[in-house]
Amino acid sequence: MEEVIREQYSEQEKQSIFNKEFMPHINSMYNFAYRLTLDPDDAKDLLQDTYLKAYRFIDSFQQGTNAKAWLFRILKNSFINDYRKKSKEPSKVDYQEVESYYNSEDVDRQITPDLRVEALQDMIGDEISVALNSLDVDFRTVIILCDLEGFKYEEMAKILDIPIGTVRSRLHRARNLLKEKLSEYAKKMGYKNA
Amino acid sequence: MNSPDLSKMKQDCSNSKECLEMLQMILDGEATTQQKEHFLKEHLEQCMPCYKNYHLEVAIRELLKTKCTSHAPQELVDNIRKQVSQKLAS
Repeated sequence: MEEVIREQYSEQEKQSIFNKEFMPHINSMYNFAYRLTLDPDDAKDLLQDTYLKAYRFIDSFQQGTNAKAWLFRILKNSFINDYRKKSKEPSKVDYQEVESYYNSEDVDRQITPDLRVEALQDMIGDEISVALNSLDVDFRTVIILCDLEGFKYEEMAKILDIPIGTVRSRLHRARNLLKEKLSEYAKKMGYKNA
Repeated sequence: MNSPDLSKMKQDCSNSKECLEMLQMILDGEATTQQKEHFLKEHLEQCMPCYKNYHLEVAIRELLKTKCTSHAPQELVDNIRKQVSQKLAS
């Protein structure tokens, strides 16, 4: 926890914060845990660990601040410390390597800009979910935080402990990669220029 | 955004990478009012690739929201509540 200020909540206040500020985010948090671990059992453990940790460190949560961002940060850190090593991540690639590759200009040139809205509208199955899950975890994460959960860039920077500029470029790359995956599906579905 | 006259639009964008970044900032709610107005009024309605990109970005976001969210299993939720209330009681 980075917060230096610690509150001294009574038991009653703790319970009220936990129920009113933490529990309402449980579905978003579960989804985040599941998308990170890609395993329902690991997701359950990660979610449970995170909520118990949140309760244990409740004194470092300041009321009136963004509880959702605070919780997401704990979950992300727990994932990195406890789950990332043992999770079924297909890629064991060093992140730095991935980022420098995707930051090269080549990637932008490869992007097929012609994925069409009609093709997306026909993706009524789990295509997009599979496409999202297939992205490297760091790219997957920024899409979840921004497009699914609606966090602002500044909040994402705090959750992920990275500069805002990195949030922006990572998000941009992530979306290009997602579109690439979706174009592949669209082609398989028979859209010619997708 | 009004419906632009498709026949009068530019077919190529000379600035597509920057435009896409601006488009995403606007949709993410991170652009200033000025940037937003300038881009939407001065550029988007006249540029076919950007106009298409706009609709594509919107469609992807909608698809993500409808297809990539989930609910925590009720048993798990109950279990978390139970564990915390035990800690409170102890």
